[in-house]
Amino acid sequence: MKSSKSFIGLIVVSTIFFIYASGVYKNLQSDSALEVVDFSIDGAKTDPASIKSNLDRSPYYGDLHVHTKYSFDAYVFGTTNSPHDAYRYATGEGITHPLGYEMKLKEPLDFYAVTDHGFYLGMVENYADTSSKQSKQPWSKPFHNINRPENLIVESVGQRSDIFSSVLRQTILQPYPYWHPKTIKAWFTNNIQLALKSFDYEVHKSAWSDVARAAEEFNNPGKFTTFIGYEFTSSTLVEGGNLHRNVIFNSAKAPIRPWTRIDSLNPEHLWTWMDGLRDRGVDSLAMPHNSNGSNGQMFEGETFKGGPIDIEYASKRMRNEPVVEITQVKGTSDTHPMLSPDDEWADFGIMDYRVGSRPPTYSKTQGSYVRDAYLTGLTLEWKRQGNPYKFGLIGSSDTHTGAGSFDESNYWSKVSLLDGTAQGRGTVPLSDERIKLMKEYTKEYNQPLSLLETENGTYASVGFEQWGASGLAVAWAEKNTRDSIFKAFKRKETFATTGTRIAVRFFAGYDMQSINLNSESMVRDAYVKGVTMGSDLGEQENKIPEFIVWAQRDKNGAPLQRVQIIKGWIEKASGTPHEKVYDVACSDGLDVDPITNRCPDNGARVNINNCSISSNVGATELKSIWADPDFDSNTKAFYYVRVLENPTCRWSTWDAVKAGVKPRPNIHKTIQERAWTSPIWYIPKDDPLDIVPL
Amino acid sequence: MRNKILIFFIIGLIIYVIDIGFNSDNNLNEIYISDSELTNLLLTWKSQVGREPTAIEATNIINNLVEEEILYREALKLGLDNEDRIIKRRLAQKITFLKQETLLKQPSDEVLRSFYNLNKNKYFVQPLYSFTHLYFSKGPDSKKRADKALKELIQNKTPNNSDPFLLGKEFYKNSTDEIIRNFGKSFENVFNKLILDQWSGPYESSYGHHLIFLNSRKDGFNPDWIEIKNQVLNDYFLQSKEDAIKKYLEEIKSEYKVVIDPNFKY
Repeated sequence: MKSSKSFIGLIVVSTIFFIYASGVYKNLQSDSALEVVDFSIDGAKTDPASIKSNLDRSPYYGDLHVHTKYSFDAYVFGTTNSPHDAYRYATGEGITHPLGYEMKLKEPLDFYAVTDHGFYLGMVENYADTSSKQSKQPWSKPFHNINRPENLIVESVGQRSDIFSSVLRQTILQPYPYWHPKTIKAWFTNNIQLALKSFDYEVHKSAWSDVARAAEEFNNPGKFTTFIGYEFTSSTLVEGGNLHRNVIFNSAKAPIRPWTRIDSLNPEHLWTWMDGLRDRGVDSLAMPHNSNGSNGQMFEGETFKGGPIDIEYASKRMRNEPVVEITQVKGTSDTHPMLSPDDEWADFGIMDYRVGSRPPTYSKTQGSYVRDAYLTGLTLEWKRQGNPYKFGLIGSSDTHTGAGSFDESNYWSKVSLLDGTAQGRGTVPLSDERIKLMKEYTKEYNQPLSLLETENGTYASVGFEQWGASGLAVAWAEKNTRDSIFKAFKRKETFATTGTRIAVRFFAGYDMQSINLNSESMVRDAYVKGVTMGSDLGEQENKIPEFIVWAQRDKNGAPLQRVQIIKGWIEKASGTPHEKVYDVACSDGLDVDPITNRCPDNGARVNINNCSISSNVGATELKSIWADPDFDSNTKAFYYVRVLENPTCRWSTWDAVKAGVKPRPNIHKTIQERAWTSPIWYIPKDDPLDIVPL
Repeated sequence: MRNKILIFFIIGLIIYVIDIGFNSDNNLNEIYISDSELTNLLLTWKSQVGREPTAIEATNIINNLVEEEILYREALKLGLDNEDRIIKRRLAQKITFLKQETLLKQPSDEVLRSFYNLNKNKYFVQPLYSFTHLYFSKGPDSKKRADKALKELIQNKTPNNSDPFLLGKEFYKNSTDEIIRNFGKSFENVFNKLILDQWSGPYESSYGHHLIFLNSRKDGFNPDWIEIKNQVLNDYFLQSKEDAIKKYLEEIKSEYKVVIDPNFKY
């Protein structure tokens, strides 16, 4: 008996060992995040192939960064608008702000993507619904009924801020014990979130399929394009560096669930997952945003784990992240006055604290802005490490109300109840009651008291005053279909605007002087003879590249003031980075001063008492052919365009004018709405031309 | 033994009396909306939109408030006792009305057709225009240049004084919405008056002046409902859901008495 027992024991042990060693154990794991679901719906939709293409391409305006009630934070901030509501808004219908007023676009958009935080998607709404399973759990208590009509009031802001900054974390970090069946299931399906007590996979999946279904219902080839998408909300482990990106899919087929920060904080693992989906026929791209609040982490000189960047990393990043959001409600990431002291327009949309930090904590500038990232990319390439920062540019809103706020004169900011009133966002002095209220809740919830005393009165000063009515993503595409617009992002034939509908074309090549700027075939000729935004321009012996820029104003906005080309390069011998801003076209028949490279003042002014602007100053369109006066054929460089409108009132000034009070001191009273194109990179010959495959 | 039962009976009676005392709220079906609540609501509206609400808008805002209040009260009532049969039924009702979409019965073709006929305007396919235009970039002489070019066109000459337009020269099958998108609101009513195969203008946009040659016009039409059946079905469900909510509100509204200060001034 004894010997047979030990014999059986031996068999068991060796079988386990055999299974383990042969990798069967590993194969028992399935990857739930790679399972693909077809979300397409039946409908009498136009066949995309039947829509006529414009070979010269048209600019399509959209927003790829929109949160609805399914985002954990948006729901806490009071948002009850659904993905369907969001798409209704984009097509021109009015929808309701949690404070009861209507949000409506002046002009419908051409494309839109709802991108809720993938992480805990749909869960907070579920805690709040007192008839759900999760709501019976003790951690759901603070969320109960928070968005019932009677609770959608300014007085609830303190409680909401508290939930956002401390309660949520405690809610989420509650794992089941190791032996629990859910933990084991989490392991077998490579789906860590299953092991968390406050997570309900069925609720999560149903929210995700509602997001996907809304996109499919509203996608209307030729008229309006949508993308199934979500936000990958990652951050660095120390110092809270924001590494957020939005992910969109180019099909009705999408994964069964989003890959989130619970799966991994490391963006490289996100790209691995996206590569895996691409192998299964689902193409996607990820768009980093709010690099300004990343504390220098978004465009670092090293990898997430602190290792060196190599060519493989660079090509993987560029394959998955061809475009970056340069502007949105939480500030603009073109450059910072400290990084670009010679750029008079650098002090625009500066939001220089870390995303979500409470109290607001300073975000390091280097590594946080796109111009700096382009230079870092050139430097890395110079060091033979590849260029991971060869991306194009888009803008988007990052609204958490379902409705992007792009209009300075009708602005509702981003986080619903918290900044939905002028007093809440710090542009109109607080009433005595609200001062009392703020003092009470900051005391009750142990938060920093953020009040600013001025000669005009006392303002709320929690950081919302740095935010902006921005921005839009624009794609040069043959037609308004999902595939055509998606391909424009992949080629980086895109530009970003601060919410205005400026249109801008940008080409580079040799012999561009032979193209007649005033001929109807100009665009066709430029495509044939040159390259456009987002592309590389190779060297041609003894020739200087020439650039064609053509900008058109927003028909409902202010006229144009000037067009600029921003150049960045590194010295071939030392790798030292440089940048320079050239005005290349001026309004009102003015000429660029060849010494300062600046247009003279065109005299456009703003009356900040009523926000009226100078009439009859500024241009409808600006056109120019420009050759780089400082060109060196051996030096790697990038060139991108910035178009500036005449100055207009900033939203904060509009808030004050509407309330009949003076604008808040010490913040900008006016802005110059603008657009930025993706760069064109100049690649010298003797450098191995490493075009990264997309 | 008897004594114990008696004691329980007396305690029960006391609890019952106390319960009645606490829960008899006669004002439960009265909605009181304070002046300050109204003022706040209207002020928020004003500070966002930048003007006073019109009488109709103000009425809508107040009506919404009342309806929300009613729904809220109903919800409160539902939460009072989870073991009550009536409340169970109401809860079931609530779920039904939240999940209408999945529970609604598939309507017959007959029903769908009459729904389509009722909402014909919504399914009207806009007319489509294909056209060529000559563009004269905004300036003090843009109208004059356009006039000159039109004269030449009428004399079968080809003018050479026009400018390229950033969005191109030829436009294919544009609806009125697309025309507004490309040229602005001032073009909204230009195309329904144009004559085929003929140059006309100049028409002013915020970009300058335009001469237009209409190549083809596809008139607007009402599609056969069978062709867009899926769309009609979706809209039908949406409408049914809205109707159900409206009906639900109507039913319970009568149970409430709304109290608003008749002398309220904003």
